[in-house]
Amino acid sequence: TVTDEANIPLPGVNVIIKGTTTGASTDFDGNYTIRANTGDIIVYSYLGFIAQEITYNGQTSLNVILRQDTAQLDEVVIIGYGSTTVKDATGSLDRIDSEEFNKGAIVSPENLLAGKSAGVRITSSSGSPGSGAEIRIRNGGSLSANNSPLIVVDGIPLSGGSLNAINPNEIESYTVLKDASATAIYGSRATAGVVIITTKKGKTKAPLSVEYNLQASVGHLTDKVDVLSASQFRQYIIDNGGDENLLGAANTDWQDQIYENAEGGIHDLTISKGFENGSLRANYNLSNQNGILKTSQYRRNAINVNFEHRFLDDHLKVNLTSKGSLVDNRFANEGAIGSAVFFDPTQPVEGSWGGYFEFEDADGTVRDLAPRNPLSLLLLNDNRQRARRNISNIQFDYKFHFLPELRLNVNAGFDYEEYEGRYFSNAAAGFNNLSLGQRPGQGTYDGVNKNRLLDFYLNYKKEFESLITGIDITAGHTYQRFYNIERNTDLDTSTGDFIDNIPIPFQLILESYFARANFTLDRKYIFTATYRRDISSRFSKANRNADFPSAAFSWLISEEDFLKNSQVVSNLKLRLSWGITGQQDVGGAFPYLGLYSKGDDKSQYQFGNEYVNTIRPEGYNEGLKWEEASMYNVGLDYGLFKNKITGTLDLYYRKNKDLLQYTQVPAGSNLENFLDQNVGETVSKGIEIGINATPFRNDNFSWDVSANFTLSDVEVTKLTLSDDPNYPGTPTGPTLSGGVGNLIQIHSLGAEPNSFYVFKQVVDVNGRLLEGVYVDLNGDNTINDNDKYRFQSPTPAAFFGFTSMMNYKNLDFSFTFRGSLGNYMYNNFRSANGYADAMLVQVGNLHYGNGSTHALETGFQTNQQFSDLYVENASFMKLDNVSVGYNIPFEHINLRASLTAQNVFTVTNYSGLDPEIADGVDNNVYPKPRTFVLGLNFNF
Amino acid sequence: CTSEIDDLRPINQETSATVFDDPASYKAFLAKIYAGIAVSGQQGPAGNPDLAGLDEGFSNYLRLYWKLQQLTTDEALIGWNDGTIKDLHYQNWTAGNEFIRTMYDRIIYQVSLANEFIRQTTDEKLNSRGVDASLKAEIQIYRAEARFMRALSYSHALDFFRNVPFVTDEDIVGAFLPKQTNGTDLFAYLEAELTAIESVLPGPGQNQYARADKAAVWMLLAKLYLNAEVYTGTPRYADARIQAEKVINSNQYSLDGDYRHLFLADNHLSNEIIFPIAFDGLRTQAYGGMTFLVHAPVGGSMPLSEFGVSSGWAGVRTTKNFVEKFPGMENSPDGRELFYTNGQSLEIPNISKFTDGYAIAKYKNVDRNGNPGSDTSGNFPDTDFPLFRLADAYLIYAEAHLRGGGGDANTAVGLINTLRVRAYGDTSGNISTSDLSLDFILDERARELYWECHRRTDLIRFGKFSSSGIWSWKGNVQNGTTTEAFRDIFPIPTSDLSANPNLTQNPGY
Repeated sequence: TVTDEANIPLPGVNVIIKGTTTGASTDFDGNYTIRANTGDIIVYSYLGFIAQEITYNGQTSLNVILRQDTAQLDEVVIIGYGSTTVKDATGSLDRIDSEEFNKGAIVSPENLLAGKSAGVRITSSSGSPGSGAEIRIRNGGSLSANNSPLIVVDGIPLSGGSLNAINPNEIESYTVLKDASATAIYGSRATAGVVIITTKKGKTKAPLSVEYNLQASVGHLTDKVDVLSASQFRQYIIDNGGDENLLGAANTDWQDQIYENAEGGIHDLTISKGFENGSLRANYNLSNQNGILKTSQYRRNAINVNFEHRFLDDHLKVNLTSKGSLVDNRFANEGAIGSAVFFDPTQPVEGSWGGYFEFEDADGTVRDLAPRNPLSLLLLNDNRQRARRNISNIQFDYKFHFLPELRLNVNAGFDYEEYEGRYFSNAAAGFNNLSLGQRPGQGTYDGVNKNRLLDFYLNYKKEFESLITGIDITAGHTYQRFYNIERNTDLDTSTGDFIDNIPIPFQLILESYFARANFTLDRKYIFTATYRRDISSRFSKANRNADFPSAAFSWLISEEDFLKNSQVVSNLKLRLSWGITGQQDVGGAFPYLGLYSKGDDKSQYQFGNEYVNTIRPEGYNEGLKWEEASMYNVGLDYGLFKNKITGTLDLYYRKNKDLLQYTQVPAGSNLENFLDQNVGETVSKGIEIGINATPFRNDNFSWDVSANFTLSDVEVTKLTLSDDPNYPGTPTGPTLSGGVGNLIQIHSLGAEPNSFYVFKQVVDVNGRLLEGVYVDLNGDNTINDNDKYRFQSPTPAAFFGFTSMMNYKNLDFSFTFRGSLGNYMYNNFRSANGYADAMLVQVGNLHYGNGSTHALETGFQTNQQFSDLYVENASFMKLDNVSVGYNIPFEHINLRASLTAQNVFTVTNYSGLDPEIADGVDNNVYPKPRTFVLGLNFNF
Repeated sequence: CTSEIDDLRPINQETSATVFDDPASYKAFLAKIYAGIAVSGQQGPAGNPDLAGLDEGFSNYLRLYWKLQQLTTDEALIGWNDGTIKDLHYQNWTAGNEFIRTMYDRIIYQVSLANEFIRQTTDEKLNSRGVDASLKAEIQIYRAEARFMRALSYSHALDFFRNVPFVTDEDIVGAFLPKQTNGTDLFAYLEAELTAIESVLPGPGQNQYARADKAAVWMLLAKLYLNAEVYTGTPRYADARIQAEKVINSNQYSLDGDYRHLFLADNHLSNEIIFPIAFDGLRTQAYGGMTFLVHAPVGGSMPLSEFGVSSGWAGVRTTKNFVEKFPGMENSPDGRELFYTNGQSLEIPNISKFTDGYAIAKYKNVDRNGNPGSDTSGNFPDTDFPLFRLADAYLIYAEAHLRGGGGDANTAVGLINTLRVRAYGDTSGNISTSDLSLDFILDERARELYWECHRRTDLIRFGKFSSSGIWSWKGNVQNGTTTEAFRDIFPIPTSDLSANPNLTQNPGY
């Protein structure tokens, strides 16, 4: 019989004779039968327990007690300036390892995480190759300041921007820090959460290993937006009194013209070797990815080298990591996407403007305000960029000889990027529409982003056999300096001169002191406190310093006597935390200083016969300071049934005050009408549930599932200085197609940020839409913008992820579902193209434009873009990826082959192509392809 | 390390502490105050904008000034779908209207710019920077010009909003809440300011082109006095007449022989323009301003080459009610009628359709010989905007006289007839003393000055803007209807009410 420590029988334990395939499995009562010879070694293994080997001495029955494996709880988690274990962690943090990452040909590291962690939303809005994704942890709570989390790569906080310089295959793990107890050690940059990325390192005393990965992929367009076909369009124009003579004879599907299947290939080669006192690991990655929109292309060459050596009897550990990348991009002109919607489908593709058809005026020139041939926008434009980036750091970790519990850690690193780009186009292209002597626009640009870091800390960590059973204290200092500059040179198309701009570099210095103390009482009660003082060059001397404290307590309930022998609860930990974090990322480098900016040569003013270049005093806010968020978190970590089911449950409440808002200043009080100011308050709340379970596991077959579910809510609780109840709020969001400068979203008091601000559409008794008829919400008998109301927002009320991984012998099968509930989308494709005039009424009345088939459904004559008709529920569930793999074991080489599909299908009622667009406005978005990937992995 | 933070300073960008090390900065700053009503930011035609919260091209001073003065009247309507733009013609705007809000911001922005200039050029500041005597003398004129530009914008504030936050160079830049003024106080302030700078500014036509001189001050004062009854309740017609007379009697200005030349690419050559807003196709570029005024009225079958532009924006037309101001309508003997009717209908069933309503071919980017302006791409015109011109002084004289402001009836009729001789090409359109009535003046101002940013103010002065006076689509019905009298002034934008608790909303909103 096999039992656990509490003498409970364990069913399904693997019993095998070492070195053979002879084995058995215990039944429900823990009993088993096996044939063995004296001297055989019998191995007992069971998930969550430490395997045991017993030498058979001829007994008739062998009773074995397996001890629970607590290794899962001892798993090391990297946190800010140090590490802890899952068991000791007091904050809300989530470690996601490479095995759990999303599968597929993934170029952008963010996408590895999509759907994997409660409270974390990853939204990639574009299908453009190499485009990144937006990360939101607990929604952020800022209005104008940055809502993206701080990203720390091997100890270097990045300054935002693309993560593409990092090869996703080289990421060992992500740690997502969610509550203030975990993030407050990053102080002024932590309000939106922190993501710590740890890249792969070599292992000591390991043999030479060579691994090669190949992924070949092909992506294709999943769907097109619904526009009229050529014959429908022809009929529509005729039926609506249009002039048939203005139509062409062709039958062109412009969307078919601009999209193509996109191939991609990823090569990844890794060599690693461990030595007695260190290790070396090197990786080379070549990623090539074409986009489904013609002429978009992405290529990355990346190397990652890691070297570790231990000196002085392991007292000094030196670790050097260097990640280099060379990224080449060719950017397609995405204006072609809108043009393909709008362009008359009865016109031919080919013509006389660089080989492409364009609408012409009577004098034979290109018609200025007609749309441009979508294909020419792609094929006659050339816009490329090359970026070189290196992120390197060297870390010294010294254990003091006289006091090995005390460590000094020094980390010096930099993130250096230089890039250059150029754009030009074919002079014959219709979109250039050159007049005599004029040249097509062209230019070059180049820039440098520098980020230097030096930090050190002392850590004292010791376990005791007294009331205080553990102490872990860290204190340190960090200094980081940023410098970005971009120069550009553009052709003056009329004079032919190249004009250089005067680059104004961005500069920022952040200096901080930080400390963390961790006490464990009686192995059950853990207290953590952190403190950070930040000094930022972004604010005036009086406001430059700020303190960010946090405190947390956790109670290992399962260590208490009443649970220690529980059959159900194997691990239970309660976490309570509070802390204050900050936000200082508002764009400008010196928002507190009175600056002057020079006007260029095209914004001169005439004084008599001379033209004078101007200077302009800029607005400034001497009193600008940090935005502050206080967050409370209650969490529960649990493990049930011998940790067959584990998970977390978190509740949080966060209040962001003194919001950094780019908002209206009292007119006359400054030199701009909008400035960054500390006004307003938001409150965010949420519930996050994470579950991992192993429904089944034996030698041949295992099945692991993990799921997470998040409920969240953000509300603006204070917006302006006076909180005038008549103030509808601050318009925000991307500008719409259809009219100029139109915004559909608003930040309003008492509503979710970015709420849609629209008219309530009136429908007649037969359910027919009444064009331009809206509900008179304020009852003043006139319909004007006082009748708009706030209707939903792009922020989901709930979202979830579900991952399943199965292994049967050498075969594995996994998939990830992801979904979102209560997120709304403004369908700008329909609102800008779904009415008769959009097709029939064009400037000059000499051509027509195609439109959305929605025009046929609504019967609208004119633009009704502020109707709530266009705000749609975009809740969705998506099969993000599904993957099948097979391991082929050879003598000296392991080969694994896999087939993966990405972006497989989406279940949604949303009428547009994609219910998942970060800003909530669906307007000519680069569609995300569905991709099939064949992967081969060789391991020597 | 901490001192490194303290020592961090901008690179390639001047601060208020360093910018005046270069003596040329004073003129450059003054030029910005003028450019503030022509362009939208520090990059032409767009980029690095002065204002936020609205599309940059829309946020242009002249474009907004024109929209508020013209689209709200019988002279113009627009077919676009840009936010609340149609509410201007419907006269159902709210305090949240972004065009009204940005005009308000733009006006106060100009005031703030001028205030900063005046603060930066006190004797104390100039002495501390060691500015030499000749530049110091020149800067005294700059300061008077800055005060003129501030008064110009405040006069628009008075006309549009009446009760605006009031700030001068005595205030500091930073976190404070400006106090609200009223029509009477603001009028008195403007009168005092303009009177004070009159003696400092160069005589009529003596300053550089496009810079303010005494005549610009007289014109602004004349217009303020003409509307004083509306602004303060106290009529000042005699003062209006006196200021107009100063302009006329300066003999520096004369009517252009051809009415149409006033609106062309080479209109800087016209001797009739007293104070322009200057544009240049290559050096003063904006998507607002004259670019808007030349492109937006072009659409339908209008030939682009005649307008010197590469495209028409097909937006602005006029109403039937305005067309009817001309005897014979589109076939009027009055040569100031510049209607384009080919393919256009007089009636306007669909306001969004450019061909509904007659187009107006007034502003063009071609010179008097028909040659296009300097920007060969046909985007940005050379045409200047005639903000003050002599014909207006004539009309002010006549109206002030009729309203009891003194002067002489024969002179008044004589001045009107000078305009009408130019319009008709002969004396067939001349009027007699008995024809001269206030109603005639209102219509004559429309015929002479349409689309030149006068109409709304004129209609209000004559009591015909809101609760009386009907034209197509006023009140958001095709045949037009009256609206409520409170619409004679615009609302204080809710955005500023929420930012500044010192402010009270104008009545009715």
